[in-house]
Amino acid sequence: MSARLSFSGISRRFGRKRVLEQVAGAVEIGQVLAVSGANGSGKSTLLRILAGLMPASSGTIEYRLEDRLLDSGERRRALGYVAPDLALYESLTVVENLRFFARLRGLPASAADDAVARVGLAPEAFYGTLSSGQRQRLRWAWALLGRPRLLLLDEPFQNLDAAGEALARRLLDEHLENGCAVVASPITLELPKVHERIHLAG
Amino acid sequence: MSASTWLAEATAVFVKEWRSELRTRYALNTFGLFAVTTLITASVALGPASLAPVERASVLPVLLWLILLFTATAGLPRAFVFEEETHTSTALRLAASPGPLFVGKAAYNLALTLALEALVVPLFLILFDLAVASPGLLALALLAGGFGLALGSTLVSALISQARGRGTLFAVLSLPILLPLLLFSVQLTRLAILGDAPGQTVEALLLYDASLTVASMMLFPVIWNP
Amino acid sequence: MRKALLYGLWLLMCLVIVGAFLWAPIAKGFLGESSRILFFHVPMAWTAFLAFIAAGIWSLLYLIRGRGVAHDHAALAAVELGLVFCLLATVTGAMWAKTMWGAFWNWDPRQISITFALLFYGAYLALRSSVPDPQVERVLGAAYAVFGLVMAPFLFFVAPRLVFSLHPQPVLNTQGKVEMESRMLWVLAASSLAFTCLFVWLLGLRRRMLALADRIEES
Repeated sequence: MSARLSFSGISRRFGRKRVLEQVAGAVEIGQVLAVSGANGSGKSTLLRILAGLMPASSGTIEYRLEDRLLDSGERRRALGYVAPDLALYESLTVVENLRFFARLRGLPASAADDAVARVGLAPEAFYGTLSSGQRQRLRWAWALLGRPRLLLLDEPFQNLDAAGEALARRLLDEHLENGCAVVASPITLELPKVHERIHLAG
Repeated sequence: MSASTWLAEATAVFVKEWRSELRTRYALNTFGLFAVTTLITASVALGPASLAPVERASVLPVLLWLILLFTATAGLPRAFVFEEETHTSTALRLAASPGPLFVGKAAYNLALTLALEALVVPLFLILFDLAVASPGLLALALLAGGFGLALGSTLVSALISQARGRGTLFAVLSLPILLPLLLFSVQLTRLAILGDAPGQTVEALLLYDASLTVASMMLFPVIWNP
Repeated sequence: MRKALLYGLWLLMCLVIVGAFLWAPIAKGFLGESSRILFFHVPMAWTAFLAFIAAGIWSLLYLIRGRGVAHDHAALAAVELGLVFCLLATVTGAMWAKTMWGAFWNWDPRQISITFALLFYGAYLALRSSVPDPQVERVLGAAYAVFGLVMAPFLFFVAPRLVFSLHPQPVLNTQGKVEMESRMLWVLAASSLAFTCLFVWLLGLRRRMLALADRIEES
C-alpha cells in the first residue's frame, strides 16, 4: 500500500507575471503537506498544477500509486480536489450530480449515495438552491468519491459552520489513515500530521 | 480502457446533457423561437409563389441551410462554453476521460441538430410548397450535413471555451470549417429537389465528415487539457 | 556569409523580374501581356501553400515533441508570412482574372480555395490573440493548425474538383505533361526558388523577433 506525490522545480508564469518560482515538495500516506502564503501568492495555482488542471511553465510532478507512476491523465482522474472554483451542475440535484461523476469514474451509484450521506446533505436538493456552506460540504463529498488516495484541498474549511468544519476535519483524519493530502490556506490551520510546510512568498 | 466503460462514460455525459436540457429547455426554446422567426420571415418575403420555378431549386436549398446554420449557431456552442462559464469544467476535467466526453457531447449536439432539422425541414417544405424528387437523398444530405455541423460546432466550442470574446470567436473559427460542409450540403439538397444524380457530392460530404471525425478525436484531448 | 546569401537572393529576384518582363515570351491563349503576372502569382501561391503546410508540421512537432517554444514560434511565423503571400496571390490573381475573365472575382474554385485559406489562417491569429494564458494559447493554436493540416486536402483538392473551373491547369497537370515554352519554365522555376528563399529568410527574421519578444517578456 503506497501513494506518494512529489514535485520539484515547479514554476509558472502568466506572460510577464511570475506566480511560482521553483517550488518543490513531497507527501506520502498519512502525511499532510501544508501550503501557506498571502492572497495572490500562487497557492491555488500550485494546486491546480498538481491536479493537472493547468500546465506548469517548467518542473516535474510524479504521483506513484502502488509503486506505479501515473501519467497526468491518470493522476487527474485518481485524486480528490476541493477548491472554491469547483462547481457542480445547477439543474441537477445533489445525488444526480454525484452519480454522474461516479459513473464517469466507473464507480457504482452506491458510492455517490454514500458520499452524500457522509456529509449530511439532502440528496434531492438542487445544487442551484444550496447555500455556500452546503456547497462546500458537497465539494468534500465530491472529492471523496471513490475514496482517492490523494486529496488536494484549497481552503477546505471555507464557508463551513462549526459543525461543518468539525465534519470536514473528521473526514480528513479518516482519509489520512490510508491517504495523503496537500492543503492550501492563507491562514495557518491547526492540522494533524503535517509533515512539511511550504510558504509561498509571492 | 475497455469498450464498455468507454461507452458507459459517453452515455453518462449524453444523459446528463439531456437531463439538464429537459429541465432548463434552453437550447430547445432557443432553437424553436429562432427557427420559427426565420422561417416566417423567409416565407412571408418569398412565399410559395413569389419565386420563379427555375429559381426555386437554386435559392431554396441555400435558404434552408442558412436557417439551419444560424439556428444551430445559437445553441450548439454551449456544449463546452457553458461548462466553463458555470465553472463545472474543473470537476469534469478531473472525472472524465477526453474521448468519451467528446463523443457524449457531440452525440448530444447531433441529437439537438436532428431535432432542429425535424422541426424546420417539414415546415420549410410546407411553407414553400416544395416537392422533393428524391426524399432519400434529402435525408442523406440532412443527416450527413447535420453530423458535420454538430461535430464541427462541438470541436470549436471546446476551442473557444478557454478564450475571451466567445460569441464572435465562434463565428470566426467555425466559418472556415463549416463553409465547405455547407457548400456540399446545399448542392446535395438541390440535387435531391431536382432528382438529379448526386455524382461525387455524396462522397465528398461523407469524406468530409470522416476527416472531421478523425481530426476531432485526435485533437480534442489536447484542446481539453492544454 | 549571410550577407552574400542575401545579395544572391537580391540578384536572383532582379533576374526573375527582368526575365519575366523582357526575356520570357507571351503564353498562348492569354490576352495581351497578361501571362507575365503568373511569374509572380504562381510562386506566391506556392509559397503560401508551403508556409501553411510547414506551420501545420511545426505545430504537430510542438504538440508531440515536448512543447518547445521554438516550434511554436516557427509555426506562428509561418502562418503570418503565409497569410501575406496568400493575400498577394489573391490580389495578383484577381488582377489577372479581371483581364482574362472580365471580373475581379467570380468564385472560381481556386478563388474559393484561397478564400478558405485566408479565413482559416486569419481565424488562427484571432484564436491566438483571444486566449489570455500564453501557454494555453500555444497549445490551442497548434491544435488548430494541425486541424488545418488534416482538412487542407479537402479545401484545396476535393472541393474545387466539384465545381467547373476556368483556372488554367497547374504547371504539372494530371497527365504529368509540361505544356510550357522552356524559357517561361525557366523563369517560373527561378521565381519559385526566389520566393521560397525569400520566405525562408523572412521566417528566420520573424522567429528571431518572436524569441526576443519572449525574452523581454520574461525578464
